[in-house]
Amino acid sequence: MIKVKNLYHSYNNDENYAVNDVNFEIEKGEIFGFLGPSGAGKSTTQNILVGLLQLQKGEVEVAGYDVKHIKDKMFNKIGMSFEQSNVYSKMSGIENLEFYRKLFDVKTRDPKELIKLVGLDGKENTKAGKYSKGMKHRLTFARSMINNPELWFLDEPTTGLDPSIAANIKDIIKQENEKGATVFLTTHNMYIADELCDRVAFIVDGKIRLIDSPKALKLKYGEKLVDVEYLKNGELIKEQLSTVAESEKARIVEVISNYDIQTMHTKEATLEEIFIKVTGRGLV
Amino acid sequence: MYILVVPVIFAVLINVFSPGINDTTVEILLLKGENPQQAEYFKQFAKVELAESLEAAHDRVRKRDNIIAVLPGASKDYYILTQGNEPDYVVDYVKNLAAFAHFDIGMEDSAAEILTYGREIPPLKKLMVNTAMIFTSILGGMIIALNIVEEKTDNTISAIHLSPVSRLGFIAGKSMMGVVIPVVGSILLLIITGFGGINFFHVFFMVTTSCIISILIGFIEGINNDDVMNAAGNMKLLFLPLFGSIAGVELLADKWQPLFYWIPFYWTYKGNDLVLSNRGSWMEIMKYSGIVLGISALVFLILAPRIRKGLE
Repeated sequence: MIKVKNLYHSYNNDENYAVNDVNFEIEKGEIFGFLGPSGAGKSTTQNILVGLLQLQKGEVEVAGYDVKHIKDKMFNKIGMSFEQSNVYSKMSGIENLEFYRKLFDVKTRDPKELIKLVGLDGKENTKAGKYSKGMKHRLTFARSMINNPELWFLDEPTTGLDPSIAANIKDIIKQENEKGATVFLTTHNMYIADELCDRVAFIVDGKIRLIDSPKALKLKYGEKLVDVEYLKNGELIKEQLSTVAESEKARIVEVISNYDIQTMHTKEATLEEIFIKVTGRGLV
Repeated sequence: MYILVVPVIFAVLINVFSPGINDTTVEILLLKGENPQQAEYFKQFAKVELAESLEAAHDRVRKRDNIIAVLPGASKDYYILTQGNEPDYVVDYVKNLAAFAHFDIGMEDSAAEILTYGREIPPLKKLMVNTAMIFTSILGGMIIALNIVEEKTDNTISAIHLSPVSRLGFIAGKSMMGVVIPVVGSILLLIITGFGGINFFHVFFMVTTSCIISILIGFIEGINNDDVMNAAGNMKLLFLPLFGSIAGVELLADKWQPLFYWIPFYWTYKGNDLVLSNRGSWMEIMKYSGIVLGISALVFLILAPRIRKGLE
């Protein structure tokens, strides 16, 4: 769905690249996470992919279209939810969606259905200028789905949303992906990336340092240990046991069989820990 | 959107403050039923108002306007009642009319042959309507500027760029407002001010070419400003060359005219003047609109890259 080869971009047209020799491919139906701290080159890459920034150097193919010679029809296939909400403040929520749907040449979704989907029902006739930041963000998210995009770009889709709404947004992303949408998710939130993405790319200083699935990364970089807490003669005992060494594997079985287990956790690494380990940088 | 009613307000103000095309400035007050024949005669040459009684006639004459009463005297003659501050030519005109009516002198008794340049429209009214038409074209540009500032404030331009609407289509769509508003506004203005009989194809030609420069400036001001008030304020700077051009055409001698040749409004004003007089040929209209188009094209070549970059 996306092919990026030797992509470079410099804002000053010099050798100081914001995006430096980036290469990756995204398959149809995949959720691909683009992880990196602020200023790493995530938004620059994304903006080149969607044509908001002109391609300077490299080869980029999006939804079957060469981005160097971008065709207007390409936008019938893609949708984008921006990090900063961008809706017409003088129009109501429903008017925003009605207006935007008219810009497409393909079958579009019912604005009322989208309003309901993102939990804005009851507020659809209120001017968007009177919406809270979170409501505007949800409206922007809803608008990105109006053309049933085959390729869906999501820039920090849950930023600034309360946990229940963020959970709803994550569910919607999963549902749309199950229906066949390919998702390009730009975020610095590793929990969302971990939960949603089939693969993630770590980008720092304009360069991709690593691409793999969260599971494979955890296996590769996580410690193969289990932390267990159990009660022995009324006393709480803590043990850390290897899941690889034969003697300790037997000990795990013994503890589980003979004692009252209080807590038990594998010591797999989080994506953030892996990111720090790989890049030497935090995700903020 | 309130800007859309501005041409209509202009038209109403012009009608209020300037005499109409077919209006006469002389008003005569007569006593109702006293001499219907005389009243009919006066109606051919002046506005006639009828008073119910002599007291009412005296009260009416004392009001602020220049109405002059022709009232029956003690015998069979008439006397003229004025406030005393009316222009002499108005009083003399009524005196003559009263005498002509008395001796039953009609138009057919005149030996004079009338030769005319055919200018039936009051020059002040024409100037005001012409100015208002150009002003309306600037309003179109102003709406574009305000609209782009709003798009920037809402950050919605990027969302439009991610739809199948091309950038050229986006610019063309915005520009439509800058054409439609001046064209519709000018037509309304002309109809309301009594210029319904002129060639509206000529009007369309002059208005569409004159609004190009305002559209270009509207885009640039919209791109360069993040505040609606600043954008509107900067657009007002266009009034300077507009009023300068009008002053140049109307007040300055021929030797100073080349100083204004670079201003498109100068040529628009001259072209509109012909259109409003209803005496411009297609050749002349094409000449003036062509010059305006040429100057606008030069400005476009300079500003187009900035507009394109600014809307990215």
